[in-house]
Amino acid sequence: KSALLRCAPRWSSFLPLTGLMCVLLLVFVSVASASRDVVSENNETWRGPAGETRGDSHNQTNSTAHKKAFPVLSFNYEHVRKPFEISLWILLALLMKLGFHIIPGVQNIVPESCLLIGVGLLVGGIIKAIGEEAPVLDTKLFFLYLLPPIILDAGYFLPIRPFTENMGTILVFAVVGTLWNTFFIGGMIYGVCRIEGGQLASVDPLSCLLFGTIVSAVDPVAVLAVFEEIHINELLHILVFGESLLNDAVTVVLYHLFEEFTHAGTVTVVDAILGVVCFFVVSLGGILVGAIYGILGAFTSRFTSHTRVIEPLFVFLYSYMAYLSAEVFHLSGIMSLIACGVVMRPYVEANVSHKSYTTIKYFLKMWSSVSETLIFIFLGVSTVAGPHAWNWTFVIVTVVLCLVSRVLGVIGLTYIINKFRIVKLTKKDQFIVAYGGLRGAIAFSLGFLLTNSEMKNMFLTAIITVIFFTVIVQGMTIRPLVDLLAVKKKKESKRSINEEIHTQFLDHLLTGIEDICGHYGHHHWKDKLNRFNKAYVKKWLIAGERSTEPQLISFYNKMEMKQAMMLVESGSTAQLPTIVSSVSMQNIKPRGPARQRAIPSISKSREQEIRKILRANLQKTRQRLRSYSRHDLMIDPFEDNVSEVRFRRQRVEMERRMSHYLTVPANRQETPPVRKVCFESEHKVYTYDDSKSPRGWTAEPDPSPPDAVSLLNESSQRANQSSEHRAKHNDELRAKVPDEKEEQDQLKLSRCLSDPGPNKEEDLS
Amino acid sequence: AVGPKGIFRVIERSEQWSVGELEPEDFGAIRELSMNPIGDRIISAFFSPGKETVDFASFVRILAHFHPTETSRSRDGVQPEPANSRTRKLKFAFQLYDQDRDGKISREELLQVLRTMLEMQVTEEQLQSIAERAIQEADLDQDDAISFDEFRKVRGVDLIRDQIDNWEY
Repeated sequence: KSALLRCAPRWSSFLPLTGLMCVLLLVFVSVASASRDVVSENNETWRGPAGETRGDSHNQTNSTAHKKAFPVLSFNYEHVRKPFEISLWILLALLMKLGFHIIPGVQNIVPESCLLIGVGLLVGGIIKAIGEEAPVLDTKLFFLYLLPPIILDAGYFLPIRPFTENMGTILVFAVVGTLWNTFFIGGMIYGVCRIEGGQLASVDPLSCLLFGTIVSAVDPVAVLAVFEEIHINELLHILVFGESLLNDAVTVVLYHLFEEFTHAGTVTVVDAILGVVCFFVVSLGGILVGAIYGILGAFTSRFTSHTRVIEPLFVFLYSYMAYLSAEVFHLSGIMSLIACGVVMRPYVEANVSHKSYTTIKYFLKMWSSVSETLIFIFLGVSTVAGPHAWNWTFVIVTVVLCLVSRVLGVIGLTYIINKFRIVKLTKKDQFIVAYGGLRGAIAFSLGFLLTNSEMKNMFLTAIITVIFFTVIVQGMTIRPLVDLLAVKKKKESKRSINEEIHTQFLDHLLTGIEDICGHYGHHHWKDKLNRFNKAYVKKWLIAGERSTEPQLISFYNKMEMKQAMMLVESGSTAQLPTIVSSVSMQNIKPRGPARQRAIPSISKSREQEIRKILRANLQKTRQRLRSYSRHDLMIDPFEDNVSEVRFRRQRVEMERRMSHYLTVPANRQETPPVRKVCFESEHKVYTYDDSKSPRGWTAEPDPSPPDAVSLLNESSQRANQSSEHRAKHNDELRAKVPDEKEEQDQLKLSRCLSDPGPNKEEDLS
Repeated sequence: AVGPKGIFRVIERSEQWSVGELEPEDFGAIRELSMNPIGDRIISAFFSPGKETVDFASFVRILAHFHPTETSRSRDGVQPEPANSRTRKLKFAFQLYDQDRDGKISREELLQVLRTMLEMQVTEEQLQSIAERAIQEADLDQDDAISFDEFRKVRGVDLIRDQIDNWEY
């Protein structure tokens, strides 16, 4: 990417920026001159700029001028005002984002979040300069529309294994850490206010504690935005990120608690106990709500095989409903959303088509990206717009206290946690965890929700300062610090089949050892959960034959599919990627006397062509569960005729190419019906059938002769099985080949087959 | 080391403890272990080849493999050479695959492991293909089997050393 940017001529890098600025100014001028309707009473979330009267007069003049004649061209902005403004904002935000990635060099120094805040400040400044009222980050907008996509994206793609392995640590950081931060900051602030006196003297302890709650919560949006770019190792990432997610429950409870108390005025012991109970209710209730919706979503996806197009919507809507339902009861919406995504994911992925899976993935990424951009821009705008009460002491003390309490909290908690952890957290880890405790828009929105008092503006100013400090200063410096401290980065390696096998093996081993010791530990319960899942849950929530598919197999299928697709994308003339070269067969010696055939080595290009053809089959794999071995390539006829046609065509192409390369023994040519031709090459294609019976291949189950390419004589069996398959798998095969090709194919095929065959040793390289 | 509670439980299960030795049947009495797909392998790992019984000392010695790695793992960018105990743990796991103790995991042995783990839910061809792929990924010297060194070097095993270090019994 950087090379590309360097190649672009210099002027072109300035052009987008200036262009954007011009667009910006233009837009705001136009917006300013548009009419302002009386928005606030209607509880609209966007507060528009500009004068109402001007707009009215526009319309009036238009109407008076054209009173008699039919208005050929009229201007009616009011009609589309709201969606227009919303779309405009989003479009501008995304253009900004685009601009930053085009401009070379910027993104290595400054994280995107800082840039976006900067843009927001700029925009806010411009709007204020024009004299209009800037839209503020409305709390409802934030919590209901901007936050859920980000959290859902994070929760759906949460790496489960590291999360559950470090669950204890994460919980301690989230709960105890946040509590510590809250009380420390709140208490110290109160002390400072008392000492300072003056303007600050009227602050009461409960307000201070409330303030402490708001400002101490680590923010998932900011953490995601910054940590995404530094590619830190998985453990640290999941620690900080998990903490930011789970502390939502604590924050919610404390916030409501202190808010109630502020109004009530006094605190009793009963209230404190109720607070603790409330915490459990909020967190566990949130998780429960999320899990219920998750199961519903998984169950629904079981039946969507006929309406593939709306599958992604189910995922999104169920999750969103989970969030909203949790919010109704003041439970933790974030935890509900996470729980929903986590519960739903394995079953949904087993049920939906591949395209739906891609759609879900990309929509989630897209929405969360947009949300994040908008949040940061609005943060900037709101900073300029909002009422401020700057108090040097308060602000400085807050910032310092935040840092201090975070560091103390992390160090103290790590000391305790390390007694229970096997893999201890080192000083470097602690530093990153402490440094990564960024505050963000959630703190701002919560602050905004405070009831209006003279303190509110002061609090808000301090909150904004903390947010700016953490996001800008800490966000910018964390990358060089990570490099400086040589913190372990994320390994960009793909999961190999070996890893999967060995991981499972070790799991079984450790479970067994636990059983011998009678120690009911981590692995024991995980094993029990897996058994329960396999025995009961999967049957209910996964459609069809995939409900009994073992994890290893689905993993293997996924991997093979990814590999084939990758091959295809790299093009037929490209070099074989290294992953494939590991599968290259040239050096494997034939084993034993069973192999009678000579084994020609397959040229790489041919291998790729075959894989390309495989790919077309593979795209249906998620429903079909084809698994590939290198040994047999059998193009099974599909259910409908159309796909058969397609396959015939592909087979024809392949045969044509292969006839150049391979030895086709003459005696094989009597293979009667065309479509029963099978090639024994690197890949064997087979499908599951519902009976799950071991398939009765009578020919060549033996995997090893990798390079043997010959036409097998299995035609009769194929015929039987193919008709079975046709009956059973009746899916969403799309016809790619128009029917008129059929005759052409037949012709080609017969021509090929009648080819007097063996170009002996023509090209075997 | 193994917690004393753990050992007492095993003692309780074993009637032959007065004799001072355990036999495979005693392990078989542990219900959950019989449900474990590789339960037999684990049991047989306690017994040295050829011996019918295991005494307390050997029993504890085997279980000692599951003690956390002695040396503290530093999380610096440069990984230290694997500690001896980690190697021993890996060796133990390796031997569970390598039943005939010839120092290599042959294709057949891998197939057997897969068969037991997947519990007859898959077809023979799939097993073959998975085993084939696994061996291809790991087999560096092209001898169609995985030696202990190759086992260690396999990308997957490298990544699960965290798990290995976390054995905490």
